[in-house]
Amino acid sequence: MNTASAVDISRLVDTEEGWVDRSIYWDPDLYAQELEQIFARCWLFLAHESQLAKPGDYVTTTMGQDRVIVTRKRDGEIGAFLNSCPHRGNVVCHAEAGNTRGFVCNYHGWSFGLDGALVGMHEQAAFDRSPGFDRTKLGLTPVAQVATYKGLVFGTFDPGAPSLAEYFGDFTYYLDVLLDNDEGGTEFLPGCISSVLNCNWKVAAENFAGDALHAGWTHDSGARAMLGKGVASVVDGESYQANVNGHCWEFNLDLLGNAATLGDRAILRYLREREPAMAERLGPTRARMVGSMASVNVFPNFSFLPGQNTFRVWQPRGPQQIELQTWVLVNRNAPQEIKDAYRKGVMMTFAPAGVFEMDDGENWEYATRANDGVVTRRQRLYYGLGLGTATTHPDLPGNLYRGQVNDANQRAFLGRWAELMQADSWDRVTS
Amino acid sequence: MSALETLALHHEISGFLYREARLLDEERYDDWLALFTEDAHYWVPGVTNRQRRDPIGSIRPEQMAFFDDNLQDLSRRVARYNAETAWAEDPATRHFHLVANIEVEDIAAGDIATGDIAAGDTDDGAGEYVVHSVLLNYRNRHRDEQDVLTARRRDVLRRTGDGLRIVRRKAVLGQSLLLSKNINTFL
Repeated sequence: MNTASAVDISRLVDTEEGWVDRSIYWDPDLYAQELEQIFARCWLFLAHESQLAKPGDYVTTTMGQDRVIVTRKRDGEIGAFLNSCPHRGNVVCHAEAGNTRGFVCNYHGWSFGLDGALVGMHEQAAFDRSPGFDRTKLGLTPVAQVATYKGLVFGTFDPGAPSLAEYFGDFTYYLDVLLDNDEGGTEFLPGCISSVLNCNWKVAAENFAGDALHAGWTHDSGARAMLGKGVASVVDGESYQANVNGHCWEFNLDLLGNAATLGDRAILRYLREREPAMAERLGPTRARMVGSMASVNVFPNFSFLPGQNTFRVWQPRGPQQIELQTWVLVNRNAPQEIKDAYRKGVMMTFAPAGVFEMDDGENWEYATRANDGVVTRRQRLYYGLGLGTATTHPDLPGNLYRGQVNDANQRAFLGRWAELMQADSWDRVTS
Repeated sequence: MSALETLALHHEISGFLYREARLLDEERYDDWLALFTEDAHYWVPGVTNRQRRDPIGSIRPEQMAFFDDNLQDLSRRVARYNAETAWAEDPATRHFHLVANIEVEDIAAGDIATGDIAAGDTDDGAGEYVVHSVLLNYRNRHRDEQDVLTARRRDVLRRTGDGLRIVRRKAVLGQSLLLSKNINTFL
């Protein structure tokens, strides 16, 4: 494992007093180290099980910059493999989704089953005559661990990584707000919208981890477009930031704050009518979180917004570029008109032509690009908002802070980042 | 239709699309909205790379889109552009919409060269036209940002008392992965 570093990572992030060194958003060497220390080790989001409903269904995506294929195998299990032929390295599947019996490399016809096993190739007899050729050792490289949590599929390249359950820890309490508020579970609506932003992946992940502050300022125009007025000021005492193992959820308990921005009253009626049932399932506190003004980042780069139900991955493409994948999550049992309303609502708000996302993108790009300046990037960034706000709540687990306008989750996200960047083993990572 | 009538119709519709393009270039979004009928549908679907043999195809109505808008949805997007706090529009983007490859088909005349009038395009077809065009959109922003988008468009235009109006637009992008951070315009 690559832990060699000329930079003392511990000096880059000061979570005690809230200062961050800008090199973490710029330095190509740190980025290369992130791909090893973060993306080749952490559990990364791969797919929703609804995208892999039947055997032969597949999607292609990336883990960090590694291309992977995710399949529903014949036995019903989910498999994930590097999308690169072990013969000459060519990509074996160029489609983004589909259903197939297997994958055939265009270069020399090496073909692979849904389980990644090599099943044949062009001029097979010539290979069979070659001493030492062993077909069983030349399948697509499997992702070391694949696991699901309530419909969401994750994978890690690290065979020594803790289980997905340990990786989440008590954060599942919060994940269940969206993944388990209805007995029918959830699904992704068809299709994925993807776009390119010239920003560091952490700028986007931090924003969803805990930047409630920007909502009322950055998104004033979007709120006026969808609600006819600006974002309500967040002075509500019933608002929090919570984090577990670097996974972050900032929220209040207003039930409908985010959902209202979708501009469709049918969604608000749906949530109001379902509040008693959700409370029975999740308890009254979490029922109030389902559509509330909130944002979430599952470490490292999987984010979503309760209420809007936009789910996204910030795929790193270099220190100054990401590919953003966007999906829409709905309850499987929701009426079709509600599903359509969420699909349209996400398009109107948090998609490349959405009235909220357009104002985020420019901020994130220039928060990244300004660090090109050698003097500029010697100036530390202030992350001290909400120091000293730690609190407790009988229902809410994890590290909890009062007031969602707070840098607590961003400090926790970057603290986790610094810890993983330095740790040569999961034993040295706190949980 | 006589050749002269065909020419006149093509000229009229080309002029309509050129003017629409200029309204977008000049960010005259309220004037642009007025070019749509009350029942308009404006659709820019997401494009998925799938195998040719895949019956699902690269676009479909129930799939995520960039726009799947009625007139109210379009009006909300315009409301953001009109807000003084649309930070990412200030300073202004320089927009260029180039319209080309215009083909006009008169639904009522049964003058359908491509035979692709969809069911539900029109009630009786009177005064409605299917218009194909290719759009090249160039945007330049700040000092060094530039974005190029292309789209194949299929419009249904209707002749109303106020002149031609857009009833339906489908604009299919050339990009599947949007190679830009946003689409801060209409296509």
